[in-house]
Order: sequence, then C-alpha cells, then structure tokens
Amino acid sequence: MKLFKQAGACLLLSVGLLGQATSAECIAPANPGGGWDFTCRSISKIMHDIGAVDKPIQVTNMAGGGGGLAYGHVVNERGSDEELIIAASSATATRLAQNAYAGMTADQVRFLGAIGADPGVIVVGKDSPFNSLTDLLDAVKADPSSVTFAGGSAAGGFDHLKVLMALGRADFTDIAKVKYIGVDGGADAITQTIGGFTQAMTGDISEVVGFLKSGDVRVLAVLTDERIPGEFNDIPTAKEQGIDVVAVNWRGLYVPKDISDEAYNKWSDALAKVGSSDEWAEAMVANGLAPFNKVGDDFAGYLDGVIAEIQTLSKELGVIK
Amino acid sequence: MSDRIFGALTGLVALAYIVSATQIQEGFLPDPVGSKLFPILVGSIALLCSIAIVIKPDESPDWPGVGTFLSILCAIVALVGYAYTLKPLGFLIPTAVASGIISFLIQRRFLTAVLTGLGLSVGLFVLFKYALGLGLVAFSKNLIG
Amino acid sequence: MEVFSLLADGFAVALTPYSLMLAVAGCIIGTMVGALPGLGPSNGVAILIPLAFSFGLDASQALVLMTSVYYGAMYGGRISSILLNIPGDEPALMTTLDGYPMAKQGRAADALVLSGVASFVGATFATIGLMLLAPILARIAFLFGPAEYFALYLLAFCTLGGMASNNQRKAALAACMGLGIAMIGLDNNSGLPRLTFDSLHLMDGIDFLVAIVGLFAVSEVFIFIESHGKNSAIGVKLGKITIPVKDIVRSFFAMIRASVVGFVAGVLPGAGASLGSFLAYMSEKSISKDKDTFGTGNPRGVAAPEAGNNAAAGGALVPMLTLGVPGSGTTAVLLALLMTLNITPGPLLFIERADLVWGLIATLFIANFVLLILNVPLVRIFVKLLSVPAWVLLPGVTMVSFVGIYSLSGSYFDLLLMIGFGVLGYFLRKIDVPTVPIILGILLGGHMEDNLRRAMVISGGEWTYLFSSPIAIGLWLAAFVGFIAPMFVSKFFKKPQAITD
Repeated sequence: MKLFKQAGACLLLSVGLLGQATSAECIAPANPGGGWDFTCRSISKIMHDIGAVDKPIQVTNMAGGGGGLAYGHVVNERGSDEELIIAASSATATRLAQNAYAGMTADQVRFLGAIGADPGVIVVGKDSPFNSLTDLLDAVKADPSSVTFAGGSAAGGFDHLKVLMALGRADFTDIAKVKYIGVDGGADAITQTIGGFTQAMTGDISEVVGFLKSGDVRVLAVLTDERIPGEFNDIPTAKEQGIDVVAVNWRGLYVPKDISDEAYNKWSDALAKVGSSDEWAEAMVANGLAPFNKVGDDFAGYLDGVIAEIQTLSKELGVIK
Repeated sequence: MSDRIFGALTGLVALAYIVSATQIQEGFLPDPVGSKLFPILVGSIALLCSIAIVIKPDESPDWPGVGTFLSILCAIVALVGYAYTLKPLGFLIPTAVASGIISFLIQRRFLTAVLTGLGLSVGLFVLFKYALGLGLVAFSKNLIG
Repeated sequence: MEVFSLLADGFAVALTPYSLMLAVAGCIIGTMVGALPGLGPSNGVAILIPLAFSFGLDASQALVLMTSVYYGAMYGGRISSILLNIPGDEPALMTTLDGYPMAKQGRAADALVLSGVASFVGATFATIGLMLLAPILARIAFLFGPAEYFALYLLAFCTLGGMASNNQRKAALAACMGLGIAMIGLDNNSGLPRLTFDSLHLMDGIDFLVAIVGLFAVSEVFIFIESHGKNSAIGVKLGKITIPVKDIVRSFFAMIRASVVGFVAGVLPGAGASLGSFLAYMSEKSISKDKDTFGTGNPRGVAAPEAGNNAAAGGALVPMLTLGVPGSGTTAVLLALLMTLNITPGPLLFIERADLVWGLIATLFIANFVLLILNVPLVRIFVKLLSVPAWVLLPGVTMVSFVGIYSLSGSYFDLLLMIGFGVLGYFLRKIDVPTVPIILGILLGGHMEDNLRRAMVISGGEWTYLFSSPIAIGLWLAAFVGFIAPMFVSKFFKKPQAITD
C-alpha cells in the first residue's frame, strides 16, 4: 500500500512542481540521515505546516567536502536566489573558521539563525577517579599524557575544541600536548571511555543520554549558560565550576548573501515562528535538542564571537596559519 | 605469462603509489603515525605481493581472441556513452541504445537486440517511475522543446 | 529469558504489514537473484542498495528488504544447480555434484523439494545460532579498544586471504588494492586531501557502492560477452512436485550435521557460504557408509551442501553485526548498506539499536518460512525464470546498476568510475585474483588506519601497545595462523576453485 501511496505522492508532487516552478528549496549539505538533513526536512515541513511560508519547500541533498560543496554552490552560483535556505550547524562555523571551505569565509553568506542546540558535555566512566570538571582539568595540567579524550569529531573538530576551550579557561595553554582521538561518532567515543581506553569523552548530550540512563557514565559538566531544564537538571554547568565555557552544537540556517533585506526578514521571521512552534518543540525532544533561540542580528553577533575563538585556538593548534 | 605481466604492472602501480604517498601533506596535530605511514605500508605490501606473483606465477588463463576484445571495447564505449547521455537525453533513448548494443554483443542477432533494447528501456522505465517512484525523466526537455 | 522478550519486540517490528511486504518482496527477488546464473547474491544485493535508498526506505526497512534478498539468494542458487548443472551462485556449486545426477534420473522435483527443506533447516539453525551467539559476542564490546580493532581487521583480511582463496599472493594484493583505494580522499585526522591528485571528484574518496557494483555486476557483462551467453547446459524437465518423505527423513541428520559445520564456517570472519557448503559436503561424504554413491545422485549429497550454505549465510551475519567484520562477500555488501545507512555495526549495535537487530533476526525467521513456501510448492515459477536468456538479463542488470548509482550520486564521474571498476573486475577475474578482498579493503581500510592511529595517540607512539592485551595477542596469532596455515594444509585439502562468496 505504502509503495502505491509513495508513487502517488511522487506523481502529485511532480504535477505540483510543474504548476509552481519557483518553489523554495532547502539544501542539506550532506546525505540523507544526518543532522543537516534533519534540520532541512523538519524546519521546511514545519514552516509550511504552520503557514510561515505559503508553498511547500523542496529539500535537496548536496553532500561533499563536509558542507563545502554546497557552500561553494551557494556563493558562486546562487548568490542572489531569494528562494533558497541552507542547513548549518556548529560544524559549518568550525570549518569556516578553520578555512576548510577552500578559502571561503563566513561573510560570503548571511546566517539566518539557530533554533535549537545540542549542549556540549564532558563525560567520564562511572568508575573514573574524576569527580568534577576541575579534577579532570587539573589532571591534564599536571600531566597531559595521562589523559586521552575521545570525541566524535576529527582532531581539530568541534568536540576537540570544546576540551581545549575548557582547558584554556583553566589557564592551560600548551594545547598541542593534549591527547585526543576522533572516533566514529559519540557512541564509539563513550565505549572507548567505558572500556578504559580513553579517560574522558567529549560530545553532545544527545549522544550520551542512553549511557547516562544505564548508569555507565557520569557527566562532569554541561557546556551551557544555564542548567538543562528537565530530567538532566542535576548536571552542573562548567560555568558553575568556574570554567566559563559555552559550547553547543546549534542547528540553524543560512541564506545567500545578495538577497534583499525584505527576503532576509521574511526568512528570519519564518524561522523564528518555527522556533516558537509546538511542532518544533516536539521535534527537538525527539532528537535530543535543547532550546537555543538566536535569530537574525543576535545570531550573527554570537557567531562572530564563536568563529573568532575557534580561529584563535586553531592557530595555536596549528590547524590554520 | 599473464601473471608476470600483471605482477609487473601492479608492482609499478604500487611503486607510484608509494611515491605519491610520500608527497602527502602531513597534518598539524601530534599524531605519531601521521598521514603517510599507512599508505606507504599498504603500497609496500602490494609491492611485495607483486614481486611474489612475478616470481611464482599461475598458469595463464584462456584469453579470448581479438574479436572478443573488440566486442568488449564496444561495450565499454556504449556504457561510457550511456553514462554521458543519461542526463541530457532522458532515460528512454540512451537505455534502449545501450542495452540493445550489449544484447547484440552477447548473442549477435540484430532484431532480438533491438527488441530487447526497446523492451528493457520501456519496461524498466515503467518499473522505476511508477512502481518504485524514482524521479526519472523519460525524454529531456531539450529534445521535446 | 531476556532473549525471548527481545525477540518478541523484534517480531513486533517485523510483523508490521509494510515490513512483511518488504520481506516477501525481498524473498522473491532474492530467490530470482540466486536462481539466475550470472547474478550472484553479492551482485544482487549490491545493485539493489542504491535503489533501496532512492525509495526512501528507513534503516530497518532497508535491512529487512536486503537480508531477505540475501537469504533468498542462498535458497535460489540451488535451482539452476539441479536443473542445468550450473550453480546459480558460487555457494550452490557443491549442489550440482549430486543434484544434477538426481535430476537426470528423473527426480528433479524430489531434489528441489529436498534441497528446499535442507535450506530451511540450515537457515533456521543459523538464525537461532545468530540469536544466541550474537548478544554474547556483543557483550565483549567494551573490551575492544583501538589496538584490538586493528588486530581484528587484520584477522579478517588474513582469513579471507588464507582460507577463501587458492593463492595468498593474489588475495593479499587484492586486499592492498582495496586498502589503497580507501586511502584516497580527505585524511580523517588532518582533514587534508590525500592521493586525490587535486581532483575534486576524489576529495570525498571513492564510494564503495560504485566499486562493488562495478567489480561484481558490470564485470559480469564482459564475462558474458566473452562467452556469448553460451553457458546453457542441457536442462532437465521438472515433473510433478511431490514430497519425498523418505529422502527427507533419511537425510535429516545429515542436514543437522551440515548446519553445524556450515554455521561455524560462516562465523569465521572472511570464510563464508561457499566454504560452508564445501565443508558440509566433504564432511558428510567422509562419514557416510556409501561414499561411492556421492556424486551419482545421493539425496544426502543434495541436502548437506544446501543446509551448509544456508547455515553459513546466517553464521556470516554474526561477525558482521557484532564486530563490523563481514564473514563473506555478500555480508561485505550488507556491511556497506549499514554504513551507508549511518549505522555503525559492532558491539554497540545491540545496545543502541536493539530494535533494529531484533527486528532483523525476527525478519530472518519470517523470511525463512516465506522462502520455504516459495521454494517448495511454488518452485515451478522460479524454474520458468531460468529460460530468461542472458542477452536480456545482462543488459537489464547493467541498466539497473546504472540507474541505481546514478540516482544515488547523480554524478557522471561515479558512473565512469563504475565502468572502470567493471573493466578491472573482468581482468582480475580472468587471472584469478579474488575481488572480495578489494571490497573488504575499501570498506575497512579507513577504520583500520584510524584505529592504528588512535592506538598510537593513546600510547604516545609506543608500538608494543598493539600487543598489550590478551585479546589483541590472540587476534594477531589467529590472523597469522589463518594466513599461513592453509599453505601447508592445502596439499591435503583441495579447495573448490574460485570461492568468491
């Protein structure tokens, strides 16, 4: 039955597309199934469902270069396309800051905003001798080779930088000595930590929920401004422990640079509406996201700060010159 | 003899691979293994295997005649052509031509090959487009318009 | 019993109408894939993967479809073995030995029914084995660090090269080819391009699906052009289908013994279904009192290899699911499916995606019953398929491959690369270089290197860390033995030619 339905939907869709050739498009710069794909699909759907836009938004996947292919496509070929939005996240900002998009910079597009985020965490196994973030950071300060961190992103990626930011706040500057291994996703990083091969894990809270519930790990700190509302309210923030670091994996959108202010405002209004909708609240719960609402100029200011810090750290690491 | 030529070829490729691997740009972070070591290791083992194959070859297989190689070459050209025309010309025509050619190369009967090409192109199009819902284009707009 | 409640959950997933429909469709496609000579299980699964994505199936649905195809192909392979004396796929090779003689004696229908039942016994046994063994293996998850994984991958290459090939030099070279290809693209650690020769197309590396479809499916076209499709032996007629109760009862214990042998062969990383059916046949022959009648149409010579290859097919899923190391060519393709679905197989799969794993196991049970029905009372339909001529089948398969890859990536470059792999595959097959290690190399190369590098980061560059745990040492030893031992045993133990599955 479902096959026929799908075939039917396809037919309808193609007929529909013929009728309105200028349907807006959301580019997910990765293959189906990942975070960017989720951002595009759920935001586009909710935007139309709640009437923030009048036509359905078509989702296109354009994988390549860790988002760089889509970024280049938007900058070079669609620079003034007003019917185009593109999914972005902390990874986009990190790569832009580290010059990983073949020299393209963050000011070649306009960032629209973020409406959800996966809070960063630093986690140890349940039997770990470390009881607080400061314990762990002190151990690294005393002997950097005694602690290996595992994270789901490659070396120099956002998970790695979270640790370095925290260490930077604790006045540890020899960051090239910090041992970090990038594994295939947060779950693997946790297994390595539970197995004792690495001493701590850095990642997003959505990656550790299962293990936290089963009692295999302890979260030393969550890297947000305030504690996460709900069931994880008892996890202290890094700030409370005197380490002023905020690192979240936000989910948001950008648009081409040369669109009119009118079009920009239309999209940011639509995004803000999605951000305050019940449908999005549900989608966030289902995907382990915490509220994180920064749209328009507010977001642009936040992003500039983040990019500047990543650039400083990356220079110290030698990731960029 | 075939094995000796094959071993010599793969040996050369392995050497070239090792050389290109030494040119790999190293990363920035403290990583004891680095970006070069594993590729060089793989290339070296491949080189050893190639040498072993040259020293101790198996018997040559039955290679087909020149005619067959020409047929295979025709098939490759047809497939490459298919790869390039699938998008600009739409699904139906390139599929009919390519599958017709391959069918002809396998059994050398012209009429059946034409029928196979037509049947496969229409049949697969209906299957993909309507039963499975793939977004195929029958004829490209350039052709119709 | 925890296992049963988990299995019940699995059935809840598998028994939804849509999943059930996919399972039945998969069984039918699989039996067809197995029955048609020139379209083996690796091929069949490989060309269907890109299509499964285009239909927008989710992870569990895609797995239901593909594993049904996988099991189906193992059943279907026997049909042309028995009727045409041509194995429909590699693992069905041993079935020709007694199946075809039986058919020539006018007992084709009996042979088909008997082998269908044997397949059912073997596959059911293996599925139960998978259900019991996999969770145990999964529990050792936390004992595997980078050093252990590195040794495990090495073991897979060594057993594949040592046991499943007649020529270690060529198997090792093939593995290196795959590993070498896997290095192309962005370096996981530094993010810098490696061996891409400044080509943008190579920045993201070479997609393993492109390589698989090229090496397995496209190369087949060239093989058939060479043979002009002249592979049809004289077929035998199929009479009325009755149930040969006497044969089934007499060979029942043979089936059980073969299932055990096959399952064990399947669980070994890199061995697979062909070895399973071979060992099952040989061991049955060696303990039998009427050795002389093997090869002349002995029913047990039909039952044993079929039970063996189906049991091995199920067994090969164990290392694939629990350790992320495929036990055969087709499971390597299934591993590619999992990786494309963003599912990292391995110990964690059983903890994180229990619904998926148990849904899969439940599907295998269901698929088995569906396959028994398809392959015993309804076998006549598939027999008709054997009359599809190569000159229709091969162009058809090629076009499906192209559409699959094209709909997945939409890039000319990938299509050309696929043709390139097809040509490469043709020459490699001619000179007897196995192609499965290439696929395994492409699939596992990145992981193997990553784990080596992680191990060295943790140890601060101390190489002895690779041998620092009992598990790691055990795996290194097993790898060494797996690669070396067959060189000495091969004199007494002649393997069937060209095991590729």
